[in-house]
Amino acid sequence: MTSKSSYVGAPVVRRDAFEKATGTAMYASDLFPDDFLWVSVLRSRYPHAHIRRIDTAKARLHAGVVAVLTHEDVPVNRFGVFVKDRPVLCDDRVRYIGDPVALVAAETREAALEAVKMIEVDYEELPAVTDPISALRADSPKVHEGGNVCRQTSLRFGDVEGAFARADVVVEGTYTTGTQIHAFLETEAGISYLDEKGRVVVVAGGQSPHRDRAEIAHALNLPPERVRVITPYVGGAFGGKDDVTVQIHLALVTMKTGRPARLVLSREESMLSGTKRHPAIIKMRTAASRDGRLLANEVEIVYDTGAYAALGPAVLDVAIENCNGPYRISSAKIDAYLVYTNNMVASAFRGFGAPQVMFAMERQIDRIARRIGIDPIELRLINAIRKGDVYVFGNRMEGSVGIYDCLRIAREHPLWRERRSGEGLEYPWLRRGVGVAAGMKGYTIGALPDRGSVSVELRRDGSIAVSGSFTEIGQGVVESVAQLTAELFKVPVGKVHVLFADTERSPDTSVTSASRQIFLAGNALRKAFEEVVERVRDLIELDTGRRPTGVTFTEEGVVAGADEVIPLGELAERLESRGLGRTVIGTYEVPKVEPIAGTLEIPHLFFMFGVTIAEVIVNVLTGSVTVPRVVAVIDAGRVINPINFTGQIEGAVVQGLGYALMEEAKIVNGYLQTKDLSTYLIPSSKDAPEIEVIPVESYEEEGPFGAKGIGEVGILSVAPAVVNAVAEACGVEPTSIPLTPEKLYWLLKEVGVVDKIRGAGGRLE
Amino acid sequence: MGEFRFLLNGKVVTVKAPPCYTLLEVLRYVLRMTGTKEGCARGDCGECTVLLDGEPVHACLTVMTQVEGRSVTTIEGIDPQHPLVRAFVEAGAVQCGHCTPGLIISSYALLSRNPSPTEEEVREAIRGNLCRCTGYSKIVRAVLSAAGV
Amino acid sequence: MEVPLHDVDVLVPKNLTEALRILSERRDIRVLAGGTDLLVQLRSGAVSKSDLIDISRLQELRYIRHSDGYIAIGALTTYSDIAGSDIVRRYAPLLAEAAETVGSVQIMNKGTIGGNVINASPAADSLPPLYVLDAKLKLVSVDGTRAVGISDFYRGYKKLEIRPNELLAEVRLRAMGAGEVGHFFKHGLRQGDAISVVNGAVVLDLDGDKVVNAAIALGAVAPTVVRAPEAERVLKGKRLSEDVMWEASREVLKSISPIDDVRGSAAYRRELSVNYLYMTLWRLAREVGAL
Repeated sequence: MTSKSSYVGAPVVRRDAFEKATGTAMYASDLFPDDFLWVSVLRSRYPHAHIRRIDTAKARLHAGVVAVLTHEDVPVNRFGVFVKDRPVLCDDRVRYIGDPVALVAAETREAALEAVKMIEVDYEELPAVTDPISALRADSPKVHEGGNVCRQTSLRFGDVEGAFARADVVVEGTYTTGTQIHAFLETEAGISYLDEKGRVVVVAGGQSPHRDRAEIAHALNLPPERVRVITPYVGGAFGGKDDVTVQIHLALVTMKTGRPARLVLSREESMLSGTKRHPAIIKMRTAASRDGRLLANEVEIVYDTGAYAALGPAVLDVAIENCNGPYRISSAKIDAYLVYTNNMVASAFRGFGAPQVMFAMERQIDRIARRIGIDPIELRLINAIRKGDVYVFGNRMEGSVGIYDCLRIAREHPLWRERRSGEGLEYPWLRRGVGVAAGMKGYTIGALPDRGSVSVELRRDGSIAVSGSFTEIGQGVVESVAQLTAELFKVPVGKVHVLFADTERSPDTSVTSASRQIFLAGNALRKAFEEVVERVRDLIELDTGRRPTGVTFTEEGVVAGADEVIPLGELAERLESRGLGRTVIGTYEVPKVEPIAGTLEIPHLFFMFGVTIAEVIVNVLTGSVTVPRVVAVIDAGRVINPINFTGQIEGAVVQGLGYALMEEAKIVNGYLQTKDLSTYLIPSSKDAPEIEVIPVESYEEEGPFGAKGIGEVGILSVAPAVVNAVAEACGVEPTSIPLTPEKLYWLLKEVGVVDKIRGAGGRLE
Repeated sequence: MGEFRFLLNGKVVTVKAPPCYTLLEVLRYVLRMTGTKEGCARGDCGECTVLLDGEPVHACLTVMTQVEGRSVTTIEGIDPQHPLVRAFVEAGAVQCGHCTPGLIISSYALLSRNPSPTEEEVREAIRGNLCRCTGYSKIVRAVLSAAGV
Repeated sequence: MEVPLHDVDVLVPKNLTEALRILSERRDIRVLAGGTDLLVQLRSGAVSKSDLIDISRLQELRYIRHSDGYIAIGALTTYSDIAGSDIVRRYAPLLAEAAETVGSVQIMNKGTIGGNVINASPAADSLPPLYVLDAKLKLVSVDGTRAVGISDFYRGYKKLEIRPNELLAEVRLRAMGAGEVGHFFKHGLRQGDAISVVNGAVVLDLDGDKVVNAAIALGAVAPTVVRAPEAERVLKGKRLSEDVMWEASREVLKSISPIDDVRGSAAYRRELSVNYLYMTLWRLAREVGAL
């Protein structure tokens, strides 16, 4: 470790690692309150059906059953962040196979499971619409009364027609991306109980305790003050716990029975009822000049949000905002649709709508490069945006923009420079390729109001307690907050206590998503620090009559005015005894921007960027792709903790590889076929490549110590880099991910690669 | 209801449970020892890995009649000062941490029979322990560093 | 929806004799060996709930022996036992290869060869090696002992030549001779453990680079594992040239009848069958210096 007063940039070991590694850390699924009821959920059997009648009589009589709850027990039976379209328990209709219909609360796990099967639901099956293109047709079955268009918007910037008329090269493609499942290792889980004040307390895995509290309070028709939400360590989230999962159900059982309750979804339930990454169909027509300047992009985006909107409306904006890539492009025409279907609900997933469009755009860029005959990184460099540029929507890029540097570093990397070296492959049916892709995405929530608060308490033992509602979903935010605090106050990081994610005790730092917590909590901390400095001035003024100007925190304590050094513990004591208070709250608000007409949250002010280089080995006789090496060059602002930073990027890279090659949720007529981790495959240790992470520190002036968000950036350009590498290796042009072995095999067969190996003796026809 | 005696982390325990209860159900629901995690309950994710007579198995696929009279080691039975624990912590191999206990058990078994594994052997040994956060690099590095490789 | 198993009784026989007695008295009971498949199937409702007889502790059924040109493997021998066995590595190396890819280390430590045979998944990795090494299954009951050849044992999808009171006690294979080489192959959808889309085994008896005899079996491409006699016939008496290897591989299509499922289409499985057989022959040819 570097000197103890320099924590930003230091590889501090995270404080939760030891308790997690020894099995003593408690997650929501590890809690068993005294006298609790086991809760089990009855879910829809059909993708779309009318509910004629729900008969719970038999289930209620089953031994051990304490309550069976249906929609009749829910005070306000609709929830959702943007649109309150989602029933807590279905009333007249079910709209997807995971839709919850009834809850059983019982004394034993077995009784709850058995009683759920005794609930009789009289369904009238309705025609289901399970692809978004059919759903847009006028005669399609309607998922909601208002029709199947959840959100639609059309945007025009610059002279698109003129640009296409002037273009030397036009590349066109239709790209499809799959339904990715978060597959966090801890499923959706929680417990609930009534506290001594009669408040309902929900302890659950989540990403947003204050917003979850609002959702619970709304559904139960309670003032928010009667609900408390605590988020302990979460066993992975990735966006899949951004919306409410088990929280309202738990609170409902506890309110109705007065008893503590526990609900942990089975893996199958998680796969069925959990939200997903939006499957997408993206049409793109991109114009370029002979010398490699991008001129125009015409884009049609169709995102299938499934049965309910969830966070889909915002996801669509992120798709729109990033579909032109990190490039200077003077004109764009974008038509975007968010469509209801009877598929499972899509919502937030690391990248939040950007990985889909990035796949399309970065495939387009490679195809343009091939048409022009220019190196794909050169083409990207010619067009890369710089700080201060006006982006295509008319917004000026005022935050740090590191994409140009990322691309330059990628260009010089040995993996790229030696990409055509004929490395000895073991078998004649193997092909090697190296591909590249760039990525971008805004962090914070753009033009939507975005603020966050944290509190800082100076303790009389010389330590500092920081609190915010950020959740520890594995990303390491707790240690990063501690490091920023240590850096500001010049205390050892071990003397910073972090209390997080409890609506009763933590100020609202808002959602832990959109790669925003380092930025929001970090900046709120800076505000709190400034507030502490003011208190120090007040104190000295009270004591000496003179208000000091310079206030400096040192390792020995605070130095204010004269030579006096006040140790932190003493400072706390004196603030307390002088009645000034030793707890402050800092609030940071992201500078306000007006949303572009037709959007909710475009533009963002702050963006993250990255470049992925991927090496692939393709077996052309099977379609299998292995990925031995990946290089991720990431615009990181300033790295707060290099271990946690590389950890985030490495994890995102492997999640991106799964997205690119393997993770295929097979859905037939609204029914999920891949309901477990043996059919929905995520990468294992043997699938993960050697990963090199190269940070490009672009220093974000608005960020805490120059930091920017990094949680999502690692995944953005993985899929296109891998697929570009496959294209390079085998001369195919895949347009669809996941590029499963079978999908790739048929492409290889189509272009004659398979028959070429088979030769005369092996032709099947 | 059956009664089962076995060695749990070096101590004899007697547990009353239905005979077809799994070791995972007994650990978590009966004994409330929650260090052993549940990820899928069907042998796909490796979260519930424990040692049965020294060999890593899925607690979710082991019923109590198969445990009777045998020795079980869970994460609670691993010395917190064990080099593997320290290596996982220091290498950044722990993020959300839900897969970590199972991974430490699998790695412990590997190092018991192969004290100096290659990277490939580490990746083989933990191939049944899924992790969704880390991308495995730091986990592999942690195991190698605990082995002094 | 999970089926709770709290009311399932599990009988634990002390020895084989007691196990056979229980099996003869209780027709409604299922045999639990490693449990890696059966417990999943019971909890998911894929098989109906029944009481169990847990034979996993019968050490008398856990052994690997070599004598008189045969390898005898007790039904409760685990995949880990098999993969680590010097006998298997020497006389049936392709079975060791299969055992290593059947699943995770945790599955290998618990799953048994007998369980794999009785579970009768057409995609079971241990089965193609048993087919090419002419396995005989020893079935025991209170009435006595009989041996059934592996291809007679599987009469159709999950239809087995076994009586309700019988227990699979041993799998007996032909030990490979000095001139024989072979490999197991498998197509999974990830590098880590995955259920096979197609798998298979090839054994060649070679005289130099000339094939004296060939045995080929494929899994996951028919209701049971199948041998590929047409392909075997093409190879017999020939040298391993590119043309011969491809011709033989193409002939495999005559032996298979794959279906579409969640892991792959029938058409893809046909292509894989041909290509994997070729790749396996090519590897063997290279190993014996024929290429």
